[in-house]
Amino acid sequence: MVPIVEAVNVKKTYMLGKVPVEALRGVDLKVETGDFVSILGPSGSGKSTMLNLIGALDKPTAGTLLIDGVDISKLNDNQLADLRRRIGFVFQFFNLIPRLTARDNVELSMSISDTGRAQRRKRAEELLETVGLKDRINHKPAELSGGQQQRVAIARALANNPRFLLLDEPTGNIDSKTASEVIRLIKKLNVENNVSIIMVTHDQHLAREAKRTAQMFDGQIISEVVNQE
Amino acid sequence: MKTIDIFGYAFSAIKLRKLRAALTILGVVIGIAAIVALLSITQGLQASITNQLQQGLSTNTLIVTPGVSALGQATSGSGGGAGGRGINLGGSSTSNSGFNLYVNYTDQINALSPDIEGSFAVIQRSGYVEAGGVNRSVTIYGVDFNQYAKQYSKTFVAASGTIPLNPADSETVVGTRVNNPGQNGTLLFSAGDNIGIVWSNATTLPVVNETYTAQVSAVLQKIGGFGIGGPSDTGVYIPLSKAESFFGTDQCDMIIVQLKSSDNATITNVSKAITDYFGGQVSVISSTAVLSLLSTVFSTVQLFLGGIAAISLLVAGIGIMNIMIVSLIERTREIGILKALGMKSRTVLTIFLGESVIIGLIGAVIGIVLGWILANVTARVLGSGVFGGGGGFTITPLLTPEVLLGALAFGVGVSVIFALYPAWRASKLKPVEALRYE
Repeated sequence: MVPIVEAVNVKKTYMLGKVPVEALRGVDLKVETGDFVSILGPSGSGKSTMLNLIGALDKPTAGTLLIDGVDISKLNDNQLADLRRRIGFVFQFFNLIPRLTARDNVELSMSISDTGRAQRRKRAEELLETVGLKDRINHKPAELSGGQQQRVAIARALANNPRFLLLDEPTGNIDSKTASEVIRLIKKLNVENNVSIIMVTHDQHLAREAKRTAQMFDGQIISEVVNQE
Repeated sequence: MKTIDIFGYAFSAIKLRKLRAALTILGVVIGIAAIVALLSITQGLQASITNQLQQGLSTNTLIVTPGVSALGQATSGSGGGAGGRGINLGGSSTSNSGFNLYVNYTDQINALSPDIEGSFAVIQRSGYVEAGGVNRSVTIYGVDFNQYAKQYSKTFVAASGTIPLNPADSETVVGTRVNNPGQNGTLLFSAGDNIGIVWSNATTLPVVNETYTAQVSAVLQKIGGFGIGGPSDTGVYIPLSKAESFFGTDQCDMIIVQLKSSDNATITNVSKAITDYFGGQVSVISSTAVLSLLSTVFSTVQLFLGGIAAISLLVAGIGIMNIMIVSLIERTREIGILKALGMKSRTVLTIFLGESVIIGLIGAVIGIVLGWILANVTARVLGSGVFGGGGGFTITPLLTPEVLLGALAFGVGVSVIFALYPAWRASKLKPVEALRYE
């Protein structure tokens, strides 16, 4: 199978006003299907930039970045949008649409990719059951706790059967008890449902929950370690 | 994303800010209501006037008047007051050029074209009637009752009494507002009564009020507002021969020509023949010409009023644009999320335009209904004589399919046009930056 992510000497330079900032200075990374990789790094290490590139939200300045076998620097905006439908994004701040219920939020990502109404309704309910929110499907985000909102976000990310989940500080805004529940859910999805996962975090403990950890510093991956169970 | 899902999503965004949406819609409502009300009233007015003109002026009729000015002279000049002749705009038998029409010209006109069925003369003066101690300003018409009744068979009809077809000189027929000025049942006199007919003879100095007593043979049915050359509610009709002796003249103010056909070619040919015969010294007015002039005038009025109303819709459009820009800024992060979930730029554009379509559509529908109600209320107020209309004239507002669909399209169109820029800006947001927006 094609690796879900294959980065070769990826560079990204921003213009901060008139000053160029090298956020990524030649990153190499390969993630295979079924893997669970955490990208660990302090703030300013370039991990957010890495997240945006892997999420097909942005393009590299130089180097090759293949997402699901596709070189994203060759894609236009529409093609990038299509590619993003194969990626399950989970954000630090949940990023649910406040006016929509849990179910409608999960359905939204499916309606964006043209899934029929009956089918997406059924799947949304199944997914919310999977993440343990069967009794909360008609609640709006404001009526849910942080952990519950993050589980809705995970259900939404899974809705389109993505090639992989891309998690950005998934426990950054929830208390530690809820965080461990969310982590358990993520690991379960990886082990039992064979969902590939890439997680970006600055939290060493959280990073160790992954099978592998890539340590970033100053725009480069400085080490890769396999975590012990 | 499917169209129905796009509209569903757009609608959920509108529902979230109900008051804001309601106020935005209100702007559209006011603009559309103004357009619909103004246009349906003017169209109703036009239809009403056209209808009355067609009654007073059958399509196979030409009116020949002395002088070259076009239309003003042919109106009945009712209420012109005593002293009449000089007051009618060029409509007296002495026109500026010194050319006069005479009663016996009808024979010459009849001989001009085989398309002419016949013609008859009308002598017209402002004057008044005396009855029951009240003086009432009227227009006195000297006509051949027989021909007049034949020509105006729908309007020169008795409500009480009988119109004599071979009247004695002392007989007269009057319009309904002559004996019943307030149209409230208080009659100054009835058919069979005698009245005094008065004309201020200004051809001599000092001015002499000439009077004779006539017997009212008939009172006409109510006719309504207009009648070029035709019967009028404030008209007093006396036999032509009596008019000649009473006014001391055989000059007439107009000659009404009946045609055998009402097609445009006949009207044009005969009009030209008559004008040429009198060396361009007469005006020939046809109903077709009057109606087309009227239609031109009303088109201009409608354009003007519609334009004013359209300005208010433009203001609403600017309101929509303003709100959309605010909404776009508030929803920057939401747009980022949608794009991160794989939504294409053009779908974001469609969602914003969809919101404007919904606003425009709701506003236009409510506006049309409101405008229609407004038009009917206004028409009723005008018709009831509150503004001195005297109740003699009714307007039925007319909502044509053109106005209906036009208003709908205009409401939605303005909304969409003013939403284009905000929608375009929303679609161009970069997902990375939009997601970072607090």
